[in-house]
Amino acid sequence: MARMMDLMTPMPRESAIATLSRLLTSASLRERIASMPLPDEGHGVDVFGLNREWVAFGVGLMRGLYEQWFRVASSGHENIPSHGAAILAANHSGTLPFDAMMLWTDVVRNTNPPRLARTIADHFVPNLPFVSTLYARTGAVGGSRANLHALLERGDLVAVFPEGTPGIGKHFRDRYRLQTWRVGHVEFALHHRAPVVPVAIVGAEEQMPQIGRIPVGSKVFGAPYLPVMLTPFPLPVKYHIRYGEPLYLHQSFDPERYADPEVLERAAGLVAGKVNELLELGLRERKGIFR
Amino acid sequence: MRRVLLTGATTPLGAGLIRRLLGRDDVSLVVAVARPGEMPPVGIDDGRFVFVNADLTRSRGVRDVLWGPAKRANALVLAAHHRSVRNVGRRARLLNVESTRMMLNMAESHPHLERVVYRSFGDVYRVDSKQPAMIDEYHPLNLDPRTPQWIRDRVEADTMVSTRTGLSPLNITVLRFAPTLARNMGSQLYDFLDAPVCFTPLGFDPILNVIDLRDMVRAIDKALSNDVEGIFNIPGRDTLAMSEAIRRFGKREIGVPGAALSRLYRARARLVGGEFDYELNRGRFHWNGVLDGRRARLQLGFVPEHGINWPVGGSLPETAGGPFSLRAPAGSGLPSTEASPEPAVKLVR
Repeated sequence: MARMMDLMTPMPRESAIATLSRLLTSASLRERIASMPLPDEGHGVDVFGLNREWVAFGVGLMRGLYEQWFRVASSGHENIPSHGAAILAANHSGTLPFDAMMLWTDVVRNTNPPRLARTIADHFVPNLPFVSTLYARTGAVGGSRANLHALLERGDLVAVFPEGTPGIGKHFRDRYRLQTWRVGHVEFALHHRAPVVPVAIVGAEEQMPQIGRIPVGSKVFGAPYLPVMLTPFPLPVKYHIRYGEPLYLHQSFDPERYADPEVLERAAGLVAGKVNELLELGLRERKGIFR
Repeated sequence: MRRVLLTGATTPLGAGLIRRLLGRDDVSLVVAVARPGEMPPVGIDDGRFVFVNADLTRSRGVRDVLWGPAKRANALVLAAHHRSVRNVGRRARLLNVESTRMMLNMAESHPHLERVVYRSFGDVYRVDSKQPAMIDEYHPLNLDPRTPQWIRDRVEADTMVSTRTGLSPLNITVLRFAPTLARNMGSQLYDFLDAPVCFTPLGFDPILNVIDLRDMVRAIDKALSNDVEGIFNIPGRDTLAMSEAIRRFGKREIGVPGAALSRLYRARARLVGGEFDYELNRGRFHWNGVLDGRRARLQLGFVPEHGINWPVGGSLPETAGGPFSLRAPAGSGLPSTEASPEPAVKLVR
């Protein structure tokens, strides 16, 4: 009976997570994660649900994908501020958010001192059972304005995908063409005087070619549609992640005009231009989709 | 000098507040009001304390208190709400909403009353997947017409008091408290955790914030001690995952698909009773909702100091036999509520 009850326990206990993370993560990575300054409200979580053990578990879970499957190569980590509020703004693609997972893993593994990127998830993600909890425990946050303000106010590193759902759901023929580049991230950057680091993720746009969509009218956990993929699992494309030099938008634009749509359009255009440059560079330098 | 009129005197919060106020030198009168038939908190022997039984759902009752024993009061603490979720209908609304309205209407023409502190609830906020995890005072209220009366009454009363701030001659402060873990406080979270088995939505583990009774008392005391008007969220020191709260409470958690949970709890309520109502808590059982206490910290100077003494499990919390108890602990030498023969009671019909 007790065994039965254990199986019905909805989420694994912290101790189980700690054991799993020990099995999945190397000692050096665990040390790195242990040295991260993570917010903790006293019971091992912050108000968004972040938990250090789960971060270690998440990094362990991603290890095979990061090292073996996608063979992530990244450069420019020195451009990520070592402390204080900052925004990573990246292109988004690939039908399923492996690009966000690889970016998150890459930041944990390669920043010095180690930092955690708080990825901003779409509104429907908190509706997904298990996934929502896994995301929250590893630092993802629902994309509401107040959440972003709270993160940046306390000096967190935030990862956003200004293309949003249209980016991840773009058709294969639109790969490496940025979809409408939203302006919210530059508004927050100006408001909080936080640098924006443009990020280009090359490889993800070919990982899971999308050939169609089934409209579900937000009936399935609030998701806008169900994607129809050419392959049931991601192709072993090679990921190239490039971090550009930080943009101090509050030095180029009047930060007091953070709500001015004209300023935001220009500032967001600047960020999108930098991401495009990095994408072009990455595409030029890669030797093929799988190399 | 503060002369305080307090409603909801027989809850653990009321009892704690009475003791806290009587511990202060600048309080010269505490008039505590409870429903007819209720007994005063035990062990209070102070000439400044007056206990009144009155029916605050009738305007005559309100008038008799305000112009009777509370005629000299200059501060009013409104903390009376129906605690049971099963209390619905016109009578419940009379206490939850109308009596508050009558109190405020009459308080505005009272000769001395100038300060009002209204005890509200974090439950008035809407919690869903699109709302921020940190709930500030501008967060949307739960105005869904399908919401059960228990919430609707709280939202209506809160809104009614809040809209008077700045317009009324009274100086009004609304305190929206995080849930506490104490019996007899109308805490749905306590009622949920008090069951032998806690059924939760499968795959969800939201973050909660809970407040200790001592901090609730401190927050009201802070509000009474200064003249800042407005609405303030009052969070507690403990922010934790629901699964962790269940574990610390010493209970068993079983995940059930969300669609079946509502029926399951309804069936359980029919079979074994209990105060927990899943429909009231559906949002909070899926998504994070933690009160943001920055405004209270900056303007009221309130910072939560007391963590919950886990495990709370099944009885009055750490305060059992402490300053908030309604019954004297065994062997304390104090009379129990029932045995309290002649408390300082005045009856107002």
